[in-house]
Order: sequence, then C-alpha cells, then structure tokens
Amino acid sequence: MSVVTVQLGQCGNQIGFEVFDALYTDSHCPQGLCSKRENEAYQASCKERFFSEEENGVPIARAILVDMEPKVTSQTLSKAAQSGRWKYGQHSCFCQKQGSGNNWAYGYSVHGPRHEESIMNLIQKEVEKCDSLSGFFIIMSMAGGTGSGLGAFVTQNLQDQYSNSLKMNHIIWPYRTGEVIVQNYNSILTLSHLYRSSDALLVHENDALHKICAKLMNIKQISFSDINQVLAHQLGSVFQPTYSVEGSCHYRRNPLGDLMENLVPHPEFKMLGIRNIPQMSENSLAYSTFTWAGLLKYLRQMLISNSKMEEGIDWHVQPPLSRLPTLGKASLNRELQFNTSIANLVILRGKDVHSADLGGFKDPALYTSWLKPINAFNVWKTQRAFRKYEKSAALVSNSQFLLKPLDTIVGKAWNMFASKAYIHQYTKFGLEEEDFLDSFTLLEQVVASYCNL
Amino acid sequence: MGRRRRRGGGARVGALPEAIAALSQTLPAGPSPEIFRRAKFDRPEAAPALWQLLFRVLSPPAAAGTRASPALGAQVRLVKSALCSQGYPRRVLARLPEDGSQGSRELLLALAWLLARGPLLEHLLAQTRVWLGDEIPLWQYEALASPGPPAPCQEADGPVDIRHLQWLMGTLRFRWRDLITSQQELCALLGKIHSYTRGCHSDRGLGHLSVAETELLRDPEGGRQLLQRLESENTRLEAALQWRRRELVFWQWMDTVLGSCPLQTSPATFLPRDPASGPGELELVARELRGLHGELQGAVEPRRAAWEAKAGGWGPEWSAAQRATQEAVGRDLAALQRAWEQGGAPAQPHRPCRLVKRDARAVEGPGLRAAELTGALRIRESRLETALGQLQTRCRQELARLAGAEPGLIWILPPGR
Repeated sequence: MSVVTVQLGQCGNQIGFEVFDALYTDSHCPQGLCSKRENEAYQASCKERFFSEEENGVPIARAILVDMEPKVTSQTLSKAAQSGRWKYGQHSCFCQKQGSGNNWAYGYSVHGPRHEESIMNLIQKEVEKCDSLSGFFIIMSMAGGTGSGLGAFVTQNLQDQYSNSLKMNHIIWPYRTGEVIVQNYNSILTLSHLYRSSDALLVHENDALHKICAKLMNIKQISFSDINQVLAHQLGSVFQPTYSVEGSCHYRRNPLGDLMENLVPHPEFKMLGIRNIPQMSENSLAYSTFTWAGLLKYLRQMLISNSKMEEGIDWHVQPPLSRLPTLGKASLNRELQFNTSIANLVILRGKDVHSADLGGFKDPALYTSWLKPINAFNVWKTQRAFRKYEKSAALVSNSQFLLKPLDTIVGKAWNMFASKAYIHQYTKFGLEEEDFLDSFTLLEQVVASYCNL
Repeated sequence: MGRRRRRGGGARVGALPEAIAALSQTLPAGPSPEIFRRAKFDRPEAAPALWQLLFRVLSPPAAAGTRASPALGAQVRLVKSALCSQGYPRRVLARLPEDGSQGSRELLLALAWLLARGPLLEHLLAQTRVWLGDEIPLWQYEALASPGPPAPCQEADGPVDIRHLQWLMGTLRFRWRDLITSQQELCALLGKIHSYTRGCHSDRGLGHLSVAETELLRDPEGGRQLLQRLESENTRLEAALQWRRRELVFWQWMDTVLGSCPLQTSPATFLPRDPASGPGELELVARELRGLHGELQGAVEPRRAAWEAKAGGWGPEWSAAQRATQEAVGRDLAALQRAWEQGGAPAQPHRPCRLVKRDARAVEGPGLRAAELTGALRIRESRLETALGQLQTRCRQELARLAGAEPGLIWILPPGR
C-alpha cells in the first residue's frame, strides 16, 4: 500500500527531500546482507510505498510540495532532478510568492481557504496514481506560519475528504531558544488542531537532533541539512519494509496502519517519538562491531531515562517496583524522572535479527498500569540491513517523553496570552480568543492524561 | 406405508454401511464408517475423530480452513459451547472430559441431532463450493443477526480501566479502516482485470474473465489443482445424493443407538426430516418442552430474587424500567426493519452472485444491476444514520440533563471524534 507525502513549508520540503533520498539510497544499497531475491522483494516493497512508476527509468516520489515562497521548493525540485536517481513529479508542486510571516492565522485562515482547491487537486492526482492508499504523511514545522497554519488546514481537509485514510503528521518541535517570537502561539494552535484531525503526531525535536549531530557525528558547523539527514535516517529505519509475520519472506503491506494500530489507538495519546541506535555516522562504522544485546540495552535505557542520544545516558534511572498502587507509582515515577511508556514498537534490521532478545522491553514496569506488555509492545524485524549498518534498531514510542517540553510551551504561550501580547496579529485574520482558549484546554488535558500514567 | 414394510422385513444387508459411508464422504473430514460403528458402543478410540468432525462442522468456515486447527482440548471446548448455544438438550455432553478421550456415543447422537435439525449438509457443501466467477457476497439481514459460536468469556480480574477499553475500541477502528482500504484495493484490481480481459470469454453473455479464470490461463498448474478441487466436490455431491437415498436406514440405526444409552431424566427423541412422522412424536416433544420450561422457571426465580436482594433497592421499578427499555428497543428495531423493507429493495437472491462488468448501454439480460443494489443499500444506510442521529441526540439531552443537575461539576469532552 502506498503512502502519499505532503511536504509543507520550508522545513517540510527540505526534510522531505532528505527522507526520499535516504529511502532510495537504502533500497539500492548493494550490501543488503541478504539473498538477492529478498533484496529485490525489499526494493519492490519500498518502491510501492514511496515511489511511483517511472518514465524512462527514474522513480518518481509520491509527494506533493507546498510552500508560500518559491525559493525552497524550486531548490528541492532541482536537487532531486539533478541526482538522476529519483525525482519529484513535474506537476506536484504548488507555491506562491507571498510567504506567511510566521503567522499561524495567516496560514490557516488566509492561505488555506484561498488555495484549498489547488492543493487538494494536487493531492487527489497523487492519490489516483496509487493502487491502494495506506495514508498520508504530512511533514511540517510547528513554529513557522506556512507549515503550521496551512498544515493544520490541509490536515483538516484530508480528514473530511479521505476520512478512511490514515494521517500521520510529522512535526518539527522548535528550538527552545528559537528565533520566532510567536513560536509558542503557533505551536499550541498547531498541536490542538492536529490533535483533533490527525491520527498520529510523530515529533522530532530540533534540540535533540542538534545534539546528535554535535556529539556523535562530529560535525563542526551544523547546518539544517545535517540535522535533516539524521532525521531522515531515523524515519527511514522506521518506514522501510519489515517482515509481516515471524520468519516469513513477505514484507508488511501496511506499515502506517500497523504502526498506528500498535501505538496510537487511544484518542488522548497521540504523541510519538523515535530513537535509534547506533547513531554514529556511516564513516565510523568500519571500526565498530555491535551485539544485539548491547544495542538493545542502550535503547531501553534511552527510553527509560528519556534520552535521545546513545551517549550521556543516565543509568541511574530504573523502573520502580511494580507493587505500588497506580497513583503512588505515577508520582514516584515523576520524582525518579522515569519515562513511563504506553506502547512501544522496536524495529530491528540486520544480521542474526532472530537471535535478538527483547525481554527487557517486555517488563511490565516500563508500561502504564492499564496496558499489559503483550498489547503494549511489538517488534518488527528484517534480516536486510539498513544502509551500511550491519545491525540497527529503532524505537517508536508513545510515552511521556514530550510531557515536559509540551508543558513548557503551553506555559510560555499562556503567559504571553495572559498579557495579550501579539494577539491582534492573529485576531486580524479571523482567529478569536475563544480559539486560543480551546487550544489551551485541549493541550492541558493532553498534559494531564500523560501525567497520570 | 413404505416405512412399516421396511421395519418388518429387515434392511438389505450392507445398506447401513453404505449409508454411513455416503454420509461420511459428504461431511468435511468425515471419519470412516468403522468409527461410527464403534461409537455406537461408546468405544473411547472413536471419540477424538468425532470431536474433530464436530469441530469442523460447527466452527465458522474461515477458521476451519486457513489456520492450523487448534489442539484437541480447544476443539472440545468450542464444540461444547457451540452445541450449547444451539440448544442441544442432552446434558451428558457438556460433562464429557476435555481431553477428548470419551463420549463417542454422545458425539454420534449430537451429530445426528444436528443433521436432523436443519439443512446441515447443504450448508456445509455451500461453504466449500468451488467458484469460478468473482463472487460478491450479498449481506442478508438474517445472516447478520445469527451469531456464531460464542467466544470464551474471560472474567476481568478486578476493575477494568476505561482507558484500556478506549484503547481496544481504537484498535478496532484502525482495523476497520484497514479492511475498507483493502476492499477498495480489491475493487480497483478487479476492475482492471475485468477491463483487460474483455472479449476473452467464450460465453458472450459474460464477456470477460474472472480472476479464477485468468489464473487458469496464466498458470496451468493452478488449473490442474482447480480441476482436482472440482472433481472432489463432484464426489462429495454424488455422495450427498447417495445419502439422501439411503438415509432412512441411518435413522433407524440411530434409534437403536439412542436405545442403547443409559436412561436419563429427560430423554430427547430424534425427529428425522421425514414428514411422514405422525403427530404422536410431536406431542411427546411438546410435552417435554413444557416440562423443561417449568423446570427452568423454577430454577430462575429464586436466583433472580437473590440477585435483586443483593443488588439492593432496585426492586420492581428497576425491572419495570428494564422492561420498558427492552420494549422500546424492540419497537425501534421493528420500525427500522419495516423501513428497510419498504425501501423498495430489489428481491435479494439467496445465493452469492457472479460479478460481471457490462457496458453502460447493455440494459437487458438477467441478473441484478449494481446501481439498484447500491441504491437500496444507500437507503438503508441513511435510515441507520437517522436512527443513530436520534440516539445521539437523546444521549446528548440526557447528558445535558445530568450536567445541569450538578452545578459544581465541569464536563470536559474528549478531543475530536
């Protein structure tokens, strides 16, 4: 089943390019560590999901590009076309010459309705190319104006028009010390609207990615391109094909659907985060060997201590005794800074994948009291290695990892709102104070739900 | 007349084994006639084969076919619960051990009971029928209303967290959407095959190939397997015809099997589908039913009183309110069904139909038009949506009333749907 990607705004388009590039590079990687037949099945599966039939041999990404400024989209289109390996569709781009001024209300109430028909037509054309549509993957940032406001509008439209298709929004969480003054307003408005119309919110934090680049990739001058490549690597290791049934050679047909069914069936808990291991760059791989036991041990501790990096993990954080009653457990966990999970999905790729022992993730102490590990924990595997990593593991989890950042953003936004700072920028485009209050209510509720795990 | 003659004269030698052999060939996974003979004498070695036969007969077709069959203990449990839900009267069967080692005579009686009640063999044959066309299942209202064997009920230990229930509901919703997407994919691909193979079919009336027929052309090995399946289906159908000719001998023999059972407090008699059976047996059955009803009443009343006493304070207003709700629901359902029937739906056939793609201009010819069917389904859909809307409004009004009743309480609704 195919996934249609919608790349929104500057951020969305730059990331989207890196994602497709990573997917393509991996699927055509010569060292698959598996048989030729299996490699071909892997490639075919990846192609069905993300690329469509080629004219003259070049696969076309199943994506549409939307931005209110022409610069980034034209750069993206030409970068893809120049590589000669894959490209975007000729008519898959929609851009204007206006910009959104980092104003959520402008993106949502002005750009949205004005360009609704053109954008939805583009999406429709892309959907018609699919034999079967698994769902939409919408890449956007939360802090700007186009990605956030227009993104919320488009997602709502997708909800109305394609109510049976799945929607996953990939959101970039801005730097804590970001440059946009009103980024907190934009963030809370985006999150609250998406919570109502999207099925899953996959969040990447700029701060975390930045740290990975700095500490582990040894990059001196970190550019957005580096950050996006780390991000694309993580997404690729989640969305590339995996076996559908233990030991079989058939690849999973509906990764988006299976992922959502495993992680976000509850309407109040939709926030997902990714961690992966190993995080070093491909160039350093030649001098390292890994065992599954070691990788999984680190990954588990990264989950528990809410660390995004495999370095500097706090090993003192341990799961508490499970005998405590639920209420006592929650407050104790908060004291211990223990990251309680609702559900986890571990994806293993590479050599001897069947010998990996995942007992550590099946410990009930990791999970909230109302979901047993048998429901809360799932594994996907494939013997085919991801890029040049002989063994690699990714973890997609629905946990408390975003609780603090979310609480911080809501707090800051509330303080600004209480003094009515910059509100007129929003109200002059049709937004009302009621909308802000609704957003605050919804997000406070989300915070409370995650807090009471 | 014929019956009396046969009773007196003695059956032709070999007629009984032939009848049983025909029955066994018609049934899926039918055991050998020797097993039947041993079962009459309640031999333990005959029991496992009969448990497996009943499991195949009673479980839904998808479960029996695709997955590996479960362990004997699980099969035994399912057979017991399925028979119980269909109203099987003999209590001895429910008490048989779960390792499947005993009770072959009881199982034989149960099989005969199932055969006597309804068109079991026809039903089983229809389930495994080999289709060459693209089948479109037409959902009948009655088919939806008849439940399969009940799933084993698990007692929740302790209070259930509502978040867990919400989680499960969400999982169901995702699976539902996945199903719809798969259905859409199936339709798109069927459409492609039908257009690509236009003009290939020898039968001009059909015009294009079905998936099975296309596979036949592409893959000769598959064609051989299809031929084998058709041949084995033919064999089963011929065995079924044989059975129909000889079944009376079997029923006479079953009477002797029943006779060889130890006496029970409420013996059940078997009614073969022979309409020649006189009113005497019917009267007997009716009397037994009345007696059973009386027994049940006597058992239920003290239990209900005890429960009501435990629940405390509910008393007669509760049961009156319950009855009123049940009647209201019954009325709603009846009104809905009447509305459906008035919707002017075309007469629904009783069998699945072959899906054929036709030119828009070709209006004549037999069969149902998809447009008519979809029209009728849309009418039903809108009626159901109206009913749902009314129920939701009623719920909202009730919630508003409750919210108004407690001024200090703040109601926060969940986000989105």
